[in-house]
Amino acid sequence: MNPVRRAALAVGLVLAVLVVVFATREAGQDRMTTHLVGAVAPPVAGSTLDGSLWDLDDQRGRWVLVNFFSTTCVPCIEEHPELVAFAEVHDGTDPAIPEVRVVSVAFDDRPSAIIRFFNENGGGWPVLPADTGRIAVDWGVVAVPESYLVTPSGHVAAKVVGGVVLEDLEGLLDRASDALSGEQAES
Amino acid sequence: MSGRAARPGRAVWLLVLAVVVGSLVASEVADRTPRTNADRVHALADDFACPVCQGQSLGESDVPIARTIRSTIRTMVDDGRTDAEVRTMLVDRFGEDIDYTPTGRGLTGLVWVLPVLAAAAALTGVGLAISRWRSGPPLGADTASTHGGSVDAADGGAADTGRPGRARLLVGVAVVAVVAGVLVARTAGDRLAGDALTGDIRLSTRTLLAEAGVAAPAEADALYTRVLEIQPSNVEALAYRGWSRWRTADGTADGAADRATALVDLDDAVASDDAYADVRVFRASARHAQGDQAGAALDLMVLDGLDAPPIVGDLLAASRLRQRIAGALASDGELLAALELLDSGLDAFGEVNGDSVPVSGRAALLAERGWLLASTRVPELVERGMASLDEAVAVGPTDPYALAYRAVVGMAVPDRSDQVAADVKAFAALETPPADLSAALVSLGLLDG
Repeated sequence: MNPVRRAALAVGLVLAVLVVVFATREAGQDRMTTHLVGAVAPPVAGSTLDGSLWDLDDQRGRWVLVNFFSTTCVPCIEEHPELVAFAEVHDGTDPAIPEVRVVSVAFDDRPSAIIRFFNENGGGWPVLPADTGRIAVDWGVVAVPESYLVTPSGHVAAKVVGGVVLEDLEGLLDRASDALSGEQAES
Repeated sequence: MSGRAARPGRAVWLLVLAVVVGSLVASEVADRTPRTNADRVHALADDFACPVCQGQSLGESDVPIARTIRSTIRTMVDDGRTDAEVRTMLVDRFGEDIDYTPTGRGLTGLVWVLPVLAAAAALTGVGLAISRWRSGPPLGADTASTHGGSVDAADGGAADTGRPGRARLLVGVAVVAVVAGVLVARTAGDRLAGDALTGDIRLSTRTLLAEAGVAAPAEADALYTRVLEIQPSNVEALAYRGWSRWRTADGTADGAADRATALVDLDDAVASDDAYADVRVFRASARHAQGDQAGAALDLMVLDGLDAPPIVGDLLAASRLRQRIAGALASDGELLAALELLDSGLDAFGEVNGDSVPVSGRAALLAERGWLLASTRVPELVERGMASLDEAVAVGPTDPYALAYRAVVGMAVPDRSDQVAADVKAFAALETPPADLSAALVSLGLLDG
């Protein structure tokens, strides 16, 4: 075969392989949503609506649901009743049900609007209303709502992008609890 | 002989070309090298995609997350973190896809490798073509073989072996020129953590801040901006530039836009250092003016937990900002939030300043508390309000608000007429009572006009 044709064929083959590789490559967006799961939870600390301090580190030994939201986002409004129901079920009053502390981190919102939002929609958990940008960056939040389930040891067990649903949250908690029990049994 | 004379000339020209190309590459790299922290922040922000935008970099986008990430980059750069550390942080948090400069590892590395391979292949092709062209039968070959063949053959052999040698030499010179140019440019233009460009940056920013403190607003704004060019996360420059812009926004053609810009500075200042007391007061005032009373109250309650310098307390007392925010909250039906804000201030006075409490400040807060409670007209709350007003007058017998409020509330309370008269008399004896209070007492018939 002519050397030039041979070279052209080789180049064509390489290009074809590259097309196949890039076309079947895992989408970047999917990978972005999972990078924190399994890692130690980044810090969440700040002043709540009543001016008191809240720190995720103080919650070691308990499950925590960290919810990033904004009062102006529709999915956040839609998910709020689900969060309220989840918080009520896991408020620690029933020893048979694991206690889960919920904390909401408002992103780019006004404290006045947040107070009104919680007064109208319920929910008595701590809310970090302002200066939460660094927290959002540490958690890699790109769009609210996003929620993270944190284990009693302070690791991120699951991430939910978009509005949460009570049933799905219960499923996540069950699976995370089972995984944790398995790890503890092994160790 | 003429051929021999031409060869060194061509080599010299090729050498010159190599040096020129190397210098151009080096200057291109040097131009891209950031010179100040602000330049580095801009360059880094331009190198990453906004995670929620279509086709915009972090530097171009103004969505909240982009602003927040820029603020984080500013802080990291000023903290002495290298560009590589900032890149690693961003990629860790948001994934490789936001990095406009792909890594050389894994599959992504093909982005770097393929163009180089393509260029190498193209150059090889060109080289082969030239080589074929030159290896054709030379003009006058017959002559060379007939006359003085032994001498020319020896020269020709040297030329044949010398040509590739010279080519290698030229390529080597070009590579060395490029690499040396790049290295020199980078060493000269890059400022690593802890290095100073000229002089001591901390000293220069401190000097600029001092100058800004006594400058006219426009000049001060320019000085704060210069500080931020050197140290983009400088909390003092951000806070005071924001406050200066907020205060002067009313006099500008586009006041609303200027106020928004000012608030971005104040937010950035808080993001840069959430324990900087001054910015809490500035932002509380701005938020109060914008009608965000809860946000304003939150800033002051955070301030109460900080070890603020006494001048901040004096500023708050003089401006009555806390009382104004509490009054606005109560008017909005948020009496509990208003009382929380006042109590937070009272606790802070007790904890931070101890016995050296500015008495008038404490009396003013107690007076406001009493006034808000009494204004509910709920008997139990009025009674509590009266107790708070009594404490206010006891703490600050010359506080105009304590005296005036207790006089007004006392009018509706049995057996308080003597005290009302005494309070009005004490108020009238003040050297410079607030005009609004005097007018209110006059309108109620308690004070002569």
